[in-house]
Amino acid sequence: MNRRTPASTAGRVIGTIVLLSLSLFPFYWMLSTAVDTSPLSRGASLLPSGFTLEHFRYVLVDAGFLRYVRVSVIVALGTVLLSGVIALLAAVAVARFRFRLRTQVLIMVLMVQMVPLEALVIPLFLQARTLNMLNSLLGLIIVYVGFSLAFAIWNLRGFVAAVPRELEEAAYIDGATWFRMFRSVLLPLVAPGLVATSVFSFITAWNEFIFALTFMQDSAKYTVGVGLRTFFTQNTADWGAVMAASTIITLPVVIFFVLVQRNLAKGVTAGAVKG
Amino acid sequence: MSQTLIEDRRQDGATGLTRRTVPLGRRARRGAAPWLLLAPGLIVLGVLLLWPMLRVLNLSLQDYQLRNLLRGESNYVGLDNYVQVLSDPFLWTTVLPNTVGFAAVCVVLTMIVGTSVALFLNSLGTLWRSICTTAIMVAWAVPALTGTYIFVWLFDPQSGLVSSTLDGLGLMEAGSYNWFTNRWTFYGIATLNVVYHGFPFIAVTMLAGLMTVPQEHYEAAAIDGANAWGRFWNVTVPTLRPIIAVCVILSTIWDFKVFVQIYLMPGGDGSTREVMNLGVWSYTQSFAQGEYGMGSTIAVLLTVLLLVISVIYIRVLMKEEEL
Repeated sequence: MNRRTPASTAGRVIGTIVLLSLSLFPFYWMLSTAVDTSPLSRGASLLPSGFTLEHFRYVLVDAGFLRYVRVSVIVALGTVLLSGVIALLAAVAVARFRFRLRTQVLIMVLMVQMVPLEALVIPLFLQARTLNMLNSLLGLIIVYVGFSLAFAIWNLRGFVAAVPRELEEAAYIDGATWFRMFRSVLLPLVAPGLVATSVFSFITAWNEFIFALTFMQDSAKYTVGVGLRTFFTQNTADWGAVMAASTIITLPVVIFFVLVQRNLAKGVTAGAVKG
Repeated sequence: MSQTLIEDRRQDGATGLTRRTVPLGRRARRGAAPWLLLAPGLIVLGVLLLWPMLRVLNLSLQDYQLRNLLRGESNYVGLDNYVQVLSDPFLWTTVLPNTVGFAAVCVVLTMIVGTSVALFLNSLGTLWRSICTTAIMVAWAVPALTGTYIFVWLFDPQSGLVSSTLDGLGLMEAGSYNWFTNRWTFYGIATLNVVYHGFPFIAVTMLAGLMTVPQEHYEAAAIDGANAWGRFWNVTVPTLRPIIAVCVILSTIWDFKVFVQIYLMPGGDGSTREVMNLGVWSYTQSFAQGEYGMGSTIAVLLTVLLLVISVIYIRVLMKEEEL
């Protein structure tokens, strides 16, 4: 396939440039607007008219965006912790045991990812209201655990399945209990998968918007996504501030994602290959 | 994919073997074990997904408004909501075309862009392939929320890059046209946004598939005189059919569910009725109008639509691998 004719080499170079610039352009535009001294007068220039961190200072200090970050971090970490534990247990069950209804359970887990959030937000809002859990971080965490769980189970199942059974059998032969085997054989080997899954749950909770918007009506409990809307007024937007806040929201997600992406793909494919 | 099957069989063979060597007592305990392990997960999924689905179905049969919510009274009206929604011309002329048309266009474009990028990545050397893959990962990772604002900013009528570029070229005066009030340009921008976020997944998945296609098949086709297009159509597409099917169905599901990318655009939150889709309609009926019953009915219709696609998805997946 890799015939290096001059024409095909030129094609590859052009293709690479086009692909790189198109993929990275929106991201670049966000960063460069965020540090631009006068974003609104930029016109068509691709470079910022000057470098400033003023937008970041304004967003974090004056506008109090930091408290939204705090809320989002707490909610996302809570989601990671809870869904990680629950998903690992479930993943071991579906990857290691053959039992009746196993296929049905897996199908249900898959189906869950297809439910539109708009259908869930109405009943869950009414219920949270009845239970006095609107504006509650715990309430939001519980809801997010439900959403990240299906993917977490599906992904972890691949990692658990990839651990050689012989290692477990060896632990049994050595007289280890199931829990001992779990702790000293399975857990260390599944750790990379657990990290990748945690990052994914974190991102899911961090990015979620509909439920955060509906549940958190008290501005002190806004998540980053809902807080971002405070920089818009009826007809105008402070684009420097919006892009600075967007950078604060986007950057950790992109870094996390690029770091664990390989691991994540490994889990999904291993799951597909090994059952 | 053929490797998948071999691996699967080996796995099942191994299971049979261990079953025979595990003592009876432990086997009995193992019978209960998976359900104990699954219990927390199943409970969470039941409470947060299954129960709300039933509740939304129940609400869709009621005229449940803000006052019902405050008094906690139910008010069953049978299928009235469904009759009202389904006989509303707004559904047929605006909301459904917006939802279905938009999803269809996005799926087709995402598949074309994703597949082309995968074919291109497959032709690159290892170094540049991983550089480009990382770049498209960034496009994938940008959250829908902030990604939408980036596109709104690019198309800002006053000072956005597109307006000022067109102004600079003398094609259009900046500020003279608002892209977001017209249904077609609104959805044009939304399509760009959704395809930008969606193509990397397709590209990465298709690339993984492309790398499994045996080189000999291409050589054989080349000997038979097939050109590049012929090789793609007669070798690549048939071999990757299962992966293509999964990609198409997954993006269909995602593109039908698009909410944030519409809701956060100017006018997308229901204030421009022309650009509403099913999700936004359901949400605004409930939370802006306080008509939770009607909102639920619309949500049920969206869910049924997705359910049909999901069933197809599961069937395709079941055919491809033993779960």
